[in-house]
Amino acid sequence: MRKNTTVKRTLALTMAVLMGASLAGCGSKSEGASSKVKEDGTIDTSSHEVINMLVLGNKPSNGRCEEMLKELNKVLTDKVNAELELTYVEWADWQTQYNTQLLSGDASLDIITTATDWLYGWENAQKGAFLPLTDDMLKTYAPKTYEQVEADGDWDICKLDGEIMFIPEDNYTQYTNHGMMYRGDWAKEAGIPDGTITKFDEMTTYFKWVKENKPDVVPWDAGKNNLGSLLEPYILSNTNYRQLVGCNAGNYEFWFTSKEDPYTVSSPYMEDDTIYEAAELMKEWNEIGVWREDALNYDGDTRVEMYAGTCAADQHHSQTYYTQVKPNMDVKQPGSDVKMYYWGQENNNVAKPIKTHGAAAISANSKHPERALMVYDLLRNDEECYRYINYGVEGTDYIVTDDGKLSYPEGWDEATDKLDANFWCGRNDDLELPNESWWDGTQDMIANYDKIAYDYEFENLIIDKNAIETQQAAIANVLSEYLPQLGYGKYEDPAKAIDEMREKLKAAGYDEVKASIQKNIDDFKAEK
Amino acid sequence: MKATKNKTGTAVMAGRKKPFWKKVKDNRTLLLMCLPAVVFFIVFNYCPLPGVYIAFTNYNFRDGIFGSPFVGLKNFEFLIQSGELWKLTRNTLLYNVVFIVLGNVVQITLAVMLNEVRNKYFKKVSQTIMFLPYFISVVLIGAIAFNILNYDTGALNTLLRETGGDPVKIYSMAGIWPFIIIFCQMWQQTGYGSVVYFAAICGIDSGMMEAAEVDGATSWQRIRYIILPSLKPTFIILLLFALGGIMKGNFGLFWNLVGNNSQLFQSTDIIETFVYRTMTTQNNFSTSSAVGLYQSIFGFALVMFSNWLVKRIDPDYALF
Repeated sequence: MRKNTTVKRTLALTMAVLMGASLAGCGSKSEGASSKVKEDGTIDTSSHEVINMLVLGNKPSNGRCEEMLKELNKVLTDKVNAELELTYVEWADWQTQYNTQLLSGDASLDIITTATDWLYGWENAQKGAFLPLTDDMLKTYAPKTYEQVEADGDWDICKLDGEIMFIPEDNYTQYTNHGMMYRGDWAKEAGIPDGTITKFDEMTTYFKWVKENKPDVVPWDAGKNNLGSLLEPYILSNTNYRQLVGCNAGNYEFWFTSKEDPYTVSSPYMEDDTIYEAAELMKEWNEIGVWREDALNYDGDTRVEMYAGTCAADQHHSQTYYTQVKPNMDVKQPGSDVKMYYWGQENNNVAKPIKTHGAAAISANSKHPERALMVYDLLRNDEECYRYINYGVEGTDYIVTDDGKLSYPEGWDEATDKLDANFWCGRNDDLELPNESWWDGTQDMIANYDKIAYDYEFENLIIDKNAIETQQAAIANVLSEYLPQLGYGKYEDPAKAIDEMREKLKAAGYDEVKASIQKNIDDFKAEK
Repeated sequence: MKATKNKTGTAVMAGRKKPFWKKVKDNRTLLLMCLPAVVFFIVFNYCPLPGVYIAFTNYNFRDGIFGSPFVGLKNFEFLIQSGELWKLTRNTLLYNVVFIVLGNVVQITLAVMLNEVRNKYFKKVSQTIMFLPYFISVVLIGAIAFNILNYDTGALNTLLRETGGDPVKIYSMAGIWPFIIIFCQMWQQTGYGSVVYFAAICGIDSGMMEAAEVDGATSWQRIRYIILPSLKPTFIILLLFALGGIMKGNFGLFWNLVGNNSQLFQSTDIIETFVYRTMTTQNNFSTSSAVGLYQSIFGFALVMFSNWLVKRIDPDYALF
């Protein structure tokens, strides 16, 4: 009997030690001892730190980015005794990799690129991924940024429960409303007046014509990275629903308000009949062959294919259109006359860009958040650093023309020489050089948007995610089954599938989530 | 000698069994040898155990695993309500049952057939070729399958079109995917699995075989009355080991063949792919942990039950 107790005791002790050790492993957090403010008011930067920034984009392999970092790090070492490192999340799998990267609690990350409308900024802030930034911290370590954002009155839109969660890219003009880019030359041949698509339904004519007349071209060769994306555009173009940012169900934008009733939340997927029309149209497109039969398993890049002339459309936003696709297509497919039909063009249902479409957060696990802020402040406001991170090394990556415009040295080719540092969480109109290669219609396009677009007024509406998390997850689960198939027109009877989906959404807790968000909106309105 | 003496010595002294430390000392070499395995299981299987608590919380990073608000069984609620859990359990179990039963039958058949081949050169070559798929990554298998099966440019559909047939939309047909997945699994695993049986066959006493031959047994009779009965212990042990993993799915294979194609979920979604999807695309730790926990508990119960069953039929074959 004695033997047994000894064994038990030993076992119990071992278990206790192990449990203790495994628990301790979760809770420890080191306090950065560097970058403290010294008595004379200067900041102690005696220890050399490496600042790691998470960026989204395809990791360049041409060596240009490394060259730039080498030069930039000399300057950063000189100024704040730190160097910058980039961690990439690539476009091919960003929807799965980005959150996983944050969830892993990787302690080596310092600056995190985020956004409230598409990069789950609020979701991750509520999950505690970001370090709350105090006014004092920002004033001390990122004074220039603090001053500019303060002057524009934009700190409020970054606050969660009174704490600043990220730094907005609020001093940079860009329109990121999405739409379909298509070839004007083919649209003209297809008999569309002036070769300009102005209504969602006109795309049917265009795609049909391409399918019938260009045997080697897939009209819109979308793949598994575009799941269900055209249902929402159809709804935007045919109703006055407005997307509510920051409460996506999984990857899906699901909650909306409307022009007529701006303070009432609902979901057109659930409560509006337009979704039936949208799904019918997608079924028609599927039968026409707008995309491959196996789009749901296909892994391709419509933009690259469009440059090569094997795809007739690319879905992305205005900024991509006037900075990349238009200039590139003019060179690679001369005469293609690429145009863009933007969602909501026929009914002027376009939102003004929100100021947190790009933002920088400091990781909650960062070991040296102060130095990270100092580096960020330089990247955003110091002309020398700004040009390195955005344009590269002068002379080899870019040149400045006599009239102060950005241009590229002779023989520079975007396909092989692009810098791709992907710093778009702190661009700054004050330091931005006008780009010689950009499409010259850019200004008109922006002016038009400025005229027709509505202001998004819910930028600092905080939706209580904790209250709805479980139901939202269930909703996301239902959507991930139905929307890709509806969006690619795969159901024999879309109407039946929608009814089925609605039943399941209701069971998943649609009404509870709706009530909870509505309450948040009511409070928000009362405060205003 | 020494051991006997010790034993009697202790018995006389205290009338008790050997003390614990004494036992440890006597068996120290054996204990030392199994130490790495013990440490491995403690570190990778027991230390993370407290983390299952996530399944009962509304997890967020700031409060951490143990600080996040406790929500009881809420994470399981929807899974059960929507029938999701039933579908996942059914798919995972059925796939594994087929993998285990069909897999072993095919492996044994192949091993026996290989054994009957007399030409040494042919035997080696065919063994190597059978072995090869085992070393191909599932990512490649997914790509190969897509290139054969896709509608627009796939090899199969091109062949059908060229010969005047109607192409088939394989990636929309949930019904035939179980066959495709089972085929891929067999193709990849059979060669490797049959080696174990082949080795067992080689271990059969050659005297028995020769005696059978002298007595005029045909090769069919030799297989039926000597080889197959000799394989029974190997078969049962492998079967029981496989049962331990019956709730585990081959994530790599399923994910690479099906991916996010929701048209096929009904017949291809297994627990592993569901957990991966909810965690990565929906950023949802709690629900995926809940499913994971369910998988472990259900799997555990299943193993205990099958062991109990085996014990009742033939105690010699029980695992523990």
